[in-house]
Amino acid sequence: MASLRPRTLPLSVRALRSTIRSTRPSLNHFLSAPASAPSTQTHPTRAHSTSSVSADELSHFSSLASSWWDPMGPSRILHLMNPLRHEFIASCLAEGTPSPDPTSSTATLNYLDVGCGGGIFAESLARTIPLDPTAPAPTPTLAASMTAIDPSTDLIQMAREHARLDPTVDSHLRTGRFKYLNTTLEDVLAGNANTSTPASTPPNPSSEVKPTPPQYDIVTLFEVLEHIDPKTSTPLSFLTNCLRALKPGGWLIGSTISRTLPSFILNQVIAEAPWPIGVVPRGTHEWSKFVNPDEVKGWLQEGLMRAADTGVSKGGSAIAEGMRWKCVGAVYVPGIGWKMVPGSEDWGNYFWAVRKGV
Amino acid sequence: MRPISRAVLRPYVCPTCRHGITAGRRQFASKSDSPDLYDVVCVGGGPAGLGLLAALRASPITSKLKVALIETQDLRKAKAWDLEPNQFSNRCSSLTPSTVAFLRSIGAYDKLDVSRVQEYQDMQVWDGQTGSRISFDWSMETSPFEDMRTVATMTENANLVRALLRRIADSGDENLSLFSNSTVASIENGSDLKPDGPDLSAWPIVTVKPTGPAAETEPPKRIAARLLVGADGINSPVRTFADIPTQGWDYGRHGIVATLALAEPATAPFPASKRTAYQRFLPALGGPIALLPLPNNHATLVWSTTPEHAAYLKSLPTPAFLAMVNAAFRLDMTDLTYMMGMQSSSSDSTPSHQDELAWRVQHTPLPAQVPPPATGVQTGTVASFPLRFRHAAQYVSPRVALVGDAAHVIHPLAGQGLNLGQADVASLSKTIQYAVSHGMDIGDLLALERYSSERYLPNAKIGGACDLLHKMYNVPGEGPVAWARSLGLGVVDRLPFVKSFLMKNAEGY
Repeated sequence: MASLRPRTLPLSVRALRSTIRSTRPSLNHFLSAPASAPSTQTHPTRAHSTSSVSADELSHFSSLASSWWDPMGPSRILHLMNPLRHEFIASCLAEGTPSPDPTSSTATLNYLDVGCGGGIFAESLARTIPLDPTAPAPTPTLAASMTAIDPSTDLIQMAREHARLDPTVDSHLRTGRFKYLNTTLEDVLAGNANTSTPASTPPNPSSEVKPTPPQYDIVTLFEVLEHIDPKTSTPLSFLTNCLRALKPGGWLIGSTISRTLPSFILNQVIAEAPWPIGVVPRGTHEWSKFVNPDEVKGWLQEGLMRAADTGVSKGGSAIAEGMRWKCVGAVYVPGIGWKMVPGSEDWGNYFWAVRKGV
Repeated sequence: MRPISRAVLRPYVCPTCRHGITAGRRQFASKSDSPDLYDVVCVGGGPAGLGLLAALRASPITSKLKVALIETQDLRKAKAWDLEPNQFSNRCSSLTPSTVAFLRSIGAYDKLDVSRVQEYQDMQVWDGQTGSRISFDWSMETSPFEDMRTVATMTENANLVRALLRRIADSGDENLSLFSNSTVASIENGSDLKPDGPDLSAWPIVTVKPTGPAAETEPPKRIAARLLVGADGINSPVRTFADIPTQGWDYGRHGIVATLALAEPATAPFPASKRTAYQRFLPALGGPIALLPLPNNHATLVWSTTPEHAAYLKSLPTPAFLAMVNAAFRLDMTDLTYMMGMQSSSSDSTPSHQDELAWRVQHTPLPAQVPPPATGVQTGTVASFPLRFRHAAQYVSPRVALVGDAAHVIHPLAGQGLNLGQADVASLSKTIQYAVSHGMDIGDLLALERYSSERYLPNAKIGGACDLLHKMYNVPGEGPVAWARSLGLGVVDRLPFVKSFLMKNAEGY
């Protein structure tokens, strides 16, 4: 839910002071329908809150939308983190890909970015999709298609507008290899959103019901987990849904912030200190919502078992035991930038990934 | 990076007004027909622009980028450039080891005609006023049994340009457009190609106009640049388009260049392959004179002096000019100032420059490091150019990057100008590689700021050091400045680790 990401960012204090009083969105964003299309909120299995996007959240996003892509704006730290996401994905794919020929350098992987927001990651990945599908992939991320979803209508609109500034990305939007969908993960799973196979049709808002749920090689979940509101949803059910969207052998990859003493000092005390020390507006983070690596790991183990459940058989604990789990910390040093620091998972930001068994 | 003033102002300005602050340029939309799209458009085909192109073509990550280069001169002529073995162009540069390493890494160094390239292992620098001296070589770092390490490598710029063009030609012509004999008629913003195309309103569109005979028949071409690189020199049109100001000043000095033939050295160098560069500061005449070795006992002269002296020297007949060059390495300031004012006359009654030098040199104690006398000037190689200092306020702007002289022009006394340009190009090509491999838009500020943060300070440091040296060695007489600089030079010469630190800095290690 990139619409939620700015919450993790140092914001330009004075510029945004007026906007930060609004409540930050929470995971119910994902699980509920977009404000503009409440009628799509019909998934029968959804047992969570169905609260819709509140008015002040929407105004909050509208105010952020204009600065989302400003390299010096409030999302700067997030922009700076983006290259690390590519590197982390590449390190996961180096261990194994769902593609039939693992040595092939052809771009074959279909990506789903959950909570794409303004499209910082989705657009950068779409840029690596080769214009000629038979050409070798230019990067180790081997992307053949990207579907990016977010429930915020404003942000999806803004992301589409920004994608038009790059002719390569624009061309992928036109061919359908790159799609921005204003929808929820649940609707994608139910086939309510347009999730037809990539490159076949251009994005189409009409609901096209598919009998089988979509299968993606990579599902990404960057800076989303720490915004789940425990009152309305659970990370477990959300992660389980993410795993359901994955093909066997595919990777679920994300990043979040851990809930530890160092992260409290860094994110709450120092980063949100009064100007000129702090770089984040007061109230940007809710430390209590941060999640620790072992919590994520536990949910994923449980989620893998649940995702393996079908009508006829139950997923066993063997699935959870053989789970391939990766986790590495990331540290932001002012003046240097983001660096992966193995072992720093408990200091704050970290990347994690899990591979669905073949 | 945007100007600091804007970045600082930003938080204090309301969002609607902020738009006006940052969108101050590129207000003119152009015709709506769609231009050809390029990833990198480089304006300027000098060593910097060609170096960038060669580096991009050499890397497997960036070799598939669609690139274009626009150059006013005829690149085919530059590629076919050839001279007799003992003729040398007067435009020479000394390549530092790090530049050589970069050129090797992109496969361009092998394309140099090595018979026209001269490495040197020793550099003698001394103060014409006080006689204090420093010698730069790597003897403090290497054992006496090793070969002496190269301090720098002299090459003609034309040789380097030809090598880079050959390297680019070797990479094939796929995704490559060389607009030779062409000028940039205009640079303006693109337009939104709604609904059938992308929004190019933030993309620079370059109108390329052929010059010469083709100008009548060939229509101008419009090309759009994801990244527009200004390698277009001190009066960079790309910099003007990006509205990037420059700071700087003119030194009020001219550099005289010439290709000279030298006499055999009085004592053979040891080891036999050892070559030496010489530089003597002449505070009374406005700058240093330098003699840098070329193959076969040739050397290239760079003499920085006042425009009046430069005009005088250029007006002298060849024997008198040679006498002045030799005098400048030998005589003291008073004698030199006198000879600078001598009427050049062919009549027997007035003494000629040669006689004057011969007579005065008998009465001057000569230091050990004096170069062999210059015996000939290659015809047509005496030329001069004004010395200036410029530094652009920033190197990057959205979809624009400046390299080489477009970003910085410095005093030539340390021979660093071309090397800084090559370091820029090495850094920019690495930046582009990083951006491509991480899904970044190579024209985006977030991608480009890596380049500017890597190069801005080193360039400012070297440029500032050259400026400081220029100013210190322009104080004539035996005052405290002369005393201090002699002390400084003496101390540096006797402290190997300080000298080695300075040399590593100067050579980009």
